[in-house]
Amino acid sequence: MTAVMGEQSSSVDPNTAPRHSASSVRWARRLEVFREVLRNPLTVIGFVIIILFLLMAIFAPLLVGANEPDPYQSPRDWANIDVPPGEAGHVLGTDSTGGDVLYGIVWGSRLSLQLSLTVVISTLVIGTIVGSVAAMRGGRVDNFLMRIVDVFLAIPELIFALAIAAVLGPSFRNIILALAVVFWVKYARIIRGEIIRVKQTDYVAAAKVVGDSTWNVYRKDVLPNAITPMVVQATLDMGNVVLIGAALSYIGLAQAGLTEWGAMVSAGQSGILAGQWWVSTFAGLAILLWALAFNLVGDGLRDVLDPKTEGR
Amino acid sequence: MAHDALLRVEGLTVDFQTSRGLARAVDDVSFSIKRGETLALAGETGCGKSVTARSILRLVPQPPGIYSAGSIYFQGIEESEPLDVLEASEQQVRALRGDRIAMVFQDPSKALNPALTIGRQLGEVFAEHREASVFESAGLGSRSRGASRYLRHRGGLVRRTAYRFTHPSATKRLTEALDERVLQALADTGVPNPRKVMTSYPHELSGGMKQRVMIAQALACDPDLLIADEPTTALDVTIQARILDLLSELQERKGTAILYITHDLSLVRQIADRLAVMYAGRIAEIGDCRDLLSAPLHPYTQGLMNAIPRAETKRGELAAIPGTVPVLIDAPRQCHFVSRCAWAGKACTTHIPGESHPLPDRLVSCLRFESAAAVGAAPGDMPQQYASAEVTT
Amino acid sequence: MTISDDVHVPGAVASRRSLITLRDVAVHYPVKEGVLQRVTSHVKAVDGVSLTIPRGSTVGLVGESGCGKTTLGKVIAGLESPTSGDLWFDLDPSDAEDVDRLRGRDPKSMSGEDREAWQRLQGQHRLGSMSREFQRRYRRNCQVVFQDAFSSLNPRQLVRDIVGRPLRVYNEASGENLNQQVLELLERVGLGPQHLLRYPHQFSGGQRQRISIARALALNPEFIILDEPTSALDVSVQAQILNLLVSLQHEFELTYLFITHDLGVVEHMSDEIAVMYLGRLVEQGPTREVFDNPFHPYTEVLRDSNPSLTGDSVADGHRRLTGSVPNPIDPPTGCRLHPRCPVAVSTCGWRVDDVLEQLEVSSPASFEGIEAVVRSSEFSALIRLTDDDASRAMAEEVTDLRGTLGNVEIDVRREGKELRVNLPEVDDITLEVIEPGRMSACVHAQSGNWWNN
Repeated sequence: MTAVMGEQSSSVDPNTAPRHSASSVRWARRLEVFREVLRNPLTVIGFVIIILFLLMAIFAPLLVGANEPDPYQSPRDWANIDVPPGEAGHVLGTDSTGGDVLYGIVWGSRLSLQLSLTVVISTLVIGTIVGSVAAMRGGRVDNFLMRIVDVFLAIPELIFALAIAAVLGPSFRNIILALAVVFWVKYARIIRGEIIRVKQTDYVAAAKVVGDSTWNVYRKDVLPNAITPMVVQATLDMGNVVLIGAALSYIGLAQAGLTEWGAMVSAGQSGILAGQWWVSTFAGLAILLWALAFNLVGDGLRDVLDPKTEGR
Repeated sequence: MAHDALLRVEGLTVDFQTSRGLARAVDDVSFSIKRGETLALAGETGCGKSVTARSILRLVPQPPGIYSAGSIYFQGIEESEPLDVLEASEQQVRALRGDRIAMVFQDPSKALNPALTIGRQLGEVFAEHREASVFESAGLGSRSRGASRYLRHRGGLVRRTAYRFTHPSATKRLTEALDERVLQALADTGVPNPRKVMTSYPHELSGGMKQRVMIAQALACDPDLLIADEPTTALDVTIQARILDLLSELQERKGTAILYITHDLSLVRQIADRLAVMYAGRIAEIGDCRDLLSAPLHPYTQGLMNAIPRAETKRGELAAIPGTVPVLIDAPRQCHFVSRCAWAGKACTTHIPGESHPLPDRLVSCLRFESAAAVGAAPGDMPQQYASAEVTT
Repeated sequence: MTISDDVHVPGAVASRRSLITLRDVAVHYPVKEGVLQRVTSHVKAVDGVSLTIPRGSTVGLVGESGCGKTTLGKVIAGLESPTSGDLWFDLDPSDAEDVDRLRGRDPKSMSGEDREAWQRLQGQHRLGSMSREFQRRYRRNCQVVFQDAFSSLNPRQLVRDIVGRPLRVYNEASGENLNQQVLELLERVGLGPQHLLRYPHQFSGGQRQRISIARALALNPEFIILDEPTSALDVSVQAQILNLLVSLQHEFELTYLFITHDLGVVEHMSDEIAVMYLGRLVEQGPTREVFDNPFHPYTEVLRDSNPSLTGDSVADGHRRLTGSVPNPIDPPTGCRLHPRCPVAVSTCGWRVDDVLEQLEVSSPASFEGIEAVVRSSEFSALIRLTDDDASRAMAEEVTDLRGTLGNVEIDVRREGKELRVNLPEVDDITLEVIEPGRMSACVHAQSGNWWNN
């Protein structure tokens, strides 16, 4: 009566498998989750696209060379302006100032990476801090903080970012700032909701009964279990930030001539009527692919990490 | 097959596609229910009782479910021939649901639409299945399409309001006739203030009240068979007792047969004529309820009864069944209880027990009741046989 | 109101030392409404509970949903503070006497000796005013096993960390020593080394509950609160867990508070039983005696609603409760069960609201004719109707209602289209000792007129 298989939902039978070290077990679990995520072909596609963009950003100097003095300004080939793709040594053509489109796309990926990483990481941190304080303290502190969040949320993201960036003046840095100011509230709200949910679980109660300090309970029980939707949202936002950022620089809030995808779309706009489609189209495609990739991965993550289905 | 069998399940086998393989939730299950009788289907989590119940109304989603084998014959009072639910057309099955076979679920809050009043929801049942008689009570001879659509809330808000304007008296009579039906159905289930309940929303009612509403809805069309899937598990025990009273009373009055699914053997005695115990997708034992409970023959049933805590049992010595339910994915062809059975013999790991009848009204699926010759195994491999002297009530 | 020394509690240590003593514990949650969040009323989840849990015994706390037993469990576990009342830990019989004697008194009016004793008692034994050291001691000795084995284990922690957490918090062990101790605990509950580094979701319900129990045992507590520990488990698994709990109790000399709604389980596991309804205890006494011969109709109905397997359960003849559980914001006066009680009489605490509720059900038409109700108290009100005829009709109906309201004396006076309704005022009915060791909050039991003949 000893070799009975117990009911379990993981592929490893806990009753018979040998024991490893704690960290190897933890990594094995992460690997399992990762494999689960990769089951969805769409998610895999998203991952591949992201990796390609990443490589593009990292190896930009190797791929297309770095322009002096500012690599974020496309080298101007004044002899070949408005050249269609494939001609005169410009794979994707040139714009009306002779800037190479391919160069713009490649170096633009660096800017996109910079933009999305900076905004997402900073908003994640700020949002987590504010949301955690609100949820853990409760009462008046919670009320006060959430009213502020409500005010922010009442204003549509794009308009708000636009207003801030316009006030601060056109520059790439200011776009980052504007987006950070607008986006942090979303995370505060998400994590507050999650923490409130987690606070009511029995395992948090168990930790309190044992007598652990509030900080420890927060660190070990509350935060790790509240963070999942944040991870999903952050992934999705990596795409969305670039989308909105591109919109802002399209309107003209970035520096002129910057190899930023949104600016490129804007610059190439006037040429469309004259039949010069390649500038806006390729830049637009880049934005599309970037946002799409992160959305696919984010959705895939959400499907797997949804607490309702997790760890049944 | 008995002539007055209402429902006859024969060799039902249901599999589920899972990421790890084919899981057999129901394995060659057979039983029958006569008109007006109550059969309790009891077993622990994962034994397949819910899947069996849902199969009767073909409610198991396919995929991932697969009706691999067997038939479910239903012969209502009005039908002249039994109908195989698993082979019938979608239309035929839909005609059965709610009308001839009704179902009550465990959690009434999940089964009631939170956005509609009780009156509206119950009304829908009558409008759908009893349209003709509603029209009759409203005194409307012919059933125009417009009137029918109005009654069933179809066709959009604009059309319905327009219809109400153009046919004020007809719609008034229809609504009244429908309300009358609903009130009667509610009163039948002992709801204290039917008019108030009719205009309430589900969230305004208590758990016990919601379950009464569910029962009213299920019995609205006088079905021949009521399937109750753990209807009282989510309720307090004093409310549960009243719901059971209600079911018994309604059964007496209307003659409805009941298939009662539960995991709680102590309930069964109060409500059931016959009892079927399931384990790991198979029927372990079926028989008269009282007889079975006082003298269980299958080792699992015995173990289950001994495990239920009672005051008489010495503390700390509850006869717990060791081990756990096996995983049923690509399961070997053997008795699934073998790893936990005190009497198991080698033959139990190589043969699936058939149906034995040690008593006139008892079916047991255990090799202890079969002879080595009949099974085709060596006598030494067989489990300890039940001596005929033991087989008394 | 301690259990008297006459009662023999099987398995208990000879000394009648009380491990946990509750006195008039109440937990009221404020209900805030409106923009300014003003407190309009209170949800009286627990409304005056006094209970003694003797060392070494198992006390069962039974009741249905909404009765407050889980809240009470949380208060004892220290997860919630009571709105009023006090909780004492580890009182020997003379301490217990002192507590009962000195509780209500103003410290200034006490003698010097008494005041010293009171200070000491508060600092060492009273939850909420204990010194830090004693508070730590309390925390270590009072542990909880929760109902839902799945949600009581942090899904992101390994079993080793979950069970070893208490040891870490109190710096009892670390590193390899910790692993060793956790392993011993796991083995004691029937698990093994292969379970040490696994996540909760990889286990079955029964196994998770074992992990929960192992965690509760980590600090070698004296007292464990078990909040519906087996309600979510199958019968066969439940039996295993119950057997385990009993053997652990013997081995470690534990005291249990067993909170459950399952009468079969509580009957089997507990020495004493306390029955709870709507925030109050209605009956208390040794399990066997309470079930064989209940001193409160609620206990009787509860018992009869759990049909036994063998033996003749003739459902007709069993009494049932009517209606459903009232709102704990405004619980019924007198005995809380009276609107639903099958054997209620005139002294059970009928009030105007009960009359109105009955009217709504029995004569809805005239109920609709009520324009306004002006209450001067719970038991006296003025009902304004539409006209004279309506008030005359209602006066008759109210008088007719007496039968359904326990034949209570309703004084009805017509003044034109107004009706003045007066009912006898009844105080809250609380637990009283009926026999040594047995308490009940039913007027029948308290007056010696039994209903169950």
